[in-house]
Amino acid sequence: MASVADPRVKDLAIGGVRVPAALVRETWPDPYMDIEDYDPESDLMSLNMGPQHPSTHGVLRVKLFLDGEICVKCVPYLGYLHRGVEKLCEKLTYVQVPSVVDKNDYVSPMMNELAVCMSFEKLLGIEVPERALVMRTVIAELQRLSSHLLWVGTWGLDMGGAIGGGGSLFIHTFRERELFLDLFEELTGGRFHYNHHTPGGQRHDIPPGWEAQVHQVLNVLESRLIEYEDLCTDNHIFQARTVGVGVIDPVLAMELGVSGPVARASGIDHDLRRDAPYAAYDRVKVQVPVRQEGDCFARYMVRLAEMRESIRIVRCLIDDIPEGPICGAKMVKLPGSQKVKAKEFVYAYSAIESPRGELGTWVVGQPKSASAYRCKIRPPSYHLVSMLPYLCVGQMISDIVVVLGSLDPILGEVDR
Amino acid sequence: MIPDDARALFERLLEEKDPHPEIGPRVPCDQLLAVARALKEELEYRFFVYCAAAHFPAPKDAEEGTPAEILVAYRVRRLGPGTVTVPFHVRVPVDTASPSLASLYAGADWQEREQYDLVGALFEGHPDLRRIMMPEDWEGHPLRREYAIDTPHFPWR
Amino acid sequence: MTWYMTLLLGLTICTLAMALGAWGTWYERKFAGRMQNRPGPTEVGPFGLLQPLADLLKLLQKEILVPRGAARWLFLASPIVAAAGTLSLFAVIPFGEGIVVADLNIGVLWIFSLGSVLVLPHWVVGWASNNKYALLGAMRAAAQTISYEIPLLLAGMIPIMLAGSFNMGDIVAAQDGYRWFALWPPGPGAVAFVMFFMCSLAEANRIPFDIPEAESELIGGISVEYTGLWAAILQLAEYIHTLVTAAVCSVLFLGGWDGPFVDGPHWMLLKTMLIYLSVFWMRWSWMRYRSDQLLAICWHYLLPIALGLVAATAIWIRLVEVS
Repeated sequence: MASVADPRVKDLAIGGVRVPAALVRETWPDPYMDIEDYDPESDLMSLNMGPQHPSTHGVLRVKLFLDGEICVKCVPYLGYLHRGVEKLCEKLTYVQVPSVVDKNDYVSPMMNELAVCMSFEKLLGIEVPERALVMRTVIAELQRLSSHLLWVGTWGLDMGGAIGGGGSLFIHTFRERELFLDLFEELTGGRFHYNHHTPGGQRHDIPPGWEAQVHQVLNVLESRLIEYEDLCTDNHIFQARTVGVGVIDPVLAMELGVSGPVARASGIDHDLRRDAPYAAYDRVKVQVPVRQEGDCFARYMVRLAEMRESIRIVRCLIDDIPEGPICGAKMVKLPGSQKVKAKEFVYAYSAIESPRGELGTWVVGQPKSASAYRCKIRPPSYHLVSMLPYLCVGQMISDIVVVLGSLDPILGEVDR
Repeated sequence: MIPDDARALFERLLEEKDPHPEIGPRVPCDQLLAVARALKEELEYRFFVYCAAAHFPAPKDAEEGTPAEILVAYRVRRLGPGTVTVPFHVRVPVDTASPSLASLYAGADWQEREQYDLVGALFEGHPDLRRIMMPEDWEGHPLRREYAIDTPHFPWR
Repeated sequence: MTWYMTLLLGLTICTLAMALGAWGTWYERKFAGRMQNRPGPTEVGPFGLLQPLADLLKLLQKEILVPRGAARWLFLASPIVAAAGTLSLFAVIPFGEGIVVADLNIGVLWIFSLGSVLVLPHWVVGWASNNKYALLGAMRAAAQTISYEIPLLLAGMIPIMLAGSFNMGDIVAAQDGYRWFALWPPGPGAVAFVMFFMCSLAEANRIPFDIPEAESELIGGISVEYTGLWAAILQLAEYIHTLVTAAVCSVLFLGGWDGPFVDGPHWMLLKTMLIYLSVFWMRWSWMRYRSDQLLAICWHYLLPIALGLVAATAIWIRLVEVS
């Protein structure tokens, strides 16, 4: 591990990026520590933040061993939302899969569809037309905006209670999110689950007047973002709850596979939209917000800055969407028409930057088959939840709730 | 595409001149930890992307004795501008353990547990290899090819 | 007053307190709704005014569950003790000149001592539930209420010192003619008012001090195992406690029934309602502190300020006397 003995060293070069040296630790808590070693008299209280809890962001069971109010060991249990999506992907054809993976990250569904479709296009060798690429970028950024809005609201709930100050913040952000859901309803017909992307492009074309509606929504959101900043950023209670809480070591984040706003708040300057551009991101210079403190407040500031950046990207692209077809593959009438052309097994992996980090799909294609042989989804939230045993040690229960909220895991994609 | 520095490393450690572009070179089990450590510490591929396993049963028209195999594919990434990923994989017969990367990459811990749970890939040296998604008393590995999607399991089905 | 008039007054105040406690929920929900860009209850009755009745009827017909392993009689008795205790605080609050159920010479002391005793029901409610979440909430409740009593008492000493008496009626009379203790002496009075108000919020477990029933962390906190009627009683106890707090604040600091034109109970009610409203306003605007930060605020900031206030008030009184 990197050495931080020298206080003059401000940042270290690790893993291709420079990370702030103040956050790097020599040792990490041991998630497999035997509780008997800590406390032979078993004075600790084991508390289940059970699958039903208002603040676990889904059905996550976290078993905490508490010394008073301070957590000594944390063991997460997954699988409560496991629906066998990967097995289902082996049975369904390539065209049928996006509507199923919609339900993984149910807060920004088109991200899942995009990740899966990009992998399938790589596997099957399908070209995506220009119009579809630009539309994909616009829609991805709109999804990022609505996902971060939901995150701000639910984080307020964690901190303030549903009957209380958090409830007010929640209702306000959902009011803005409704505007986005209306946009998507105009485009695809669905509010939450769209079945919009397909290998080769998309299914629905932009209806007339949609661009004007997008501009209107973005203008409204920009004014409201100022309101949210006024409400939270300088609020003493908010700062007392989030500043210095849940500091994440960037080297640990890298090794665990954590990317996205959580990593960027710990100083890791990495964003797939800028560094490995897909869709039309090479036409827009994405400015990536990075902060050096690594605590919950830093994650909040990074996500707010990302929202502003997404607004800028959409405004850049929305007025110049090129004309043309929206799908490179023939719109299939029979679901079995897209097949692997090679004679042996083919493999593909492609990743996108979802609001939580690197969302990718590893696909194995069987020759002469219209279904994938093995479709593994690499969900960013899985790695975020795997951070919990390291992060929760030494925190109070209230802090654990705030930290879990600030990581923004979505249990749908953790369990699939 | 595999970047040049990784390609040079594979050539040096494994004598592999032409690795598969998508799943990387096939690494023998006894060299897996050495290769991964070299990638991590010499070439700074510190971001653990995924560990994915796939079950390949013996094809029906193969000769007697061709074993069913499990492919365990890994991928690591170097972050920052110009990010690149390096894949590599291991192929083991079913019910044989491959070495675990959990001591090198903290992220391999849970990923390998998931692949053990769903595909039945065994990992030697893993600190806590038990089921993560399915309930503890589940029998069978659901993502094996012969596991039917509607296999009954009381009380869920 | 004769004994039957006292009894009548007591019953009226009790009924009024319970009604205001129940309709406080209506008021709060309407206010919260408007803060959140939605109307609040509108279905039941005109403007949703019968909503508290509907809630009461719903809660009454729910099954009463006593968890296995819970201390049964403590579990069932402590909400009643909490509600009865908060109601009996109304005994010494004067609503007008002579309109008080019990004109005790030590009126303020009655409020403080009964308020201290009321720490116990909240703690027992959590402990008797045989539930780890409730236990955590109970421990937090005990720590919080015991800690915040000290600045509460010290800030409450200011009106007593300025009026020279523990009798609530005398304190109001000393503020006659707009010399309300929150405004005069300028400075210490306002600080004492704010501190008294904050500490009462902590005693009543309202946001930003509602960690005992921190809903997002501890699910229901101390009241997690209570269903039906008993949950209603606990909630009512909390709202009545808030109402008592508002009334005590108006008496001690805002002049009670003193007001422009005609003095009388209407001013007392108006001031009580205004403070009641501001409690709701704060609840729906702010998030909550963490429990150790809460206690740090009490011991590191409020206690020294309260001690300083007492000293400042003593100096002020001496100066006024001398001049």
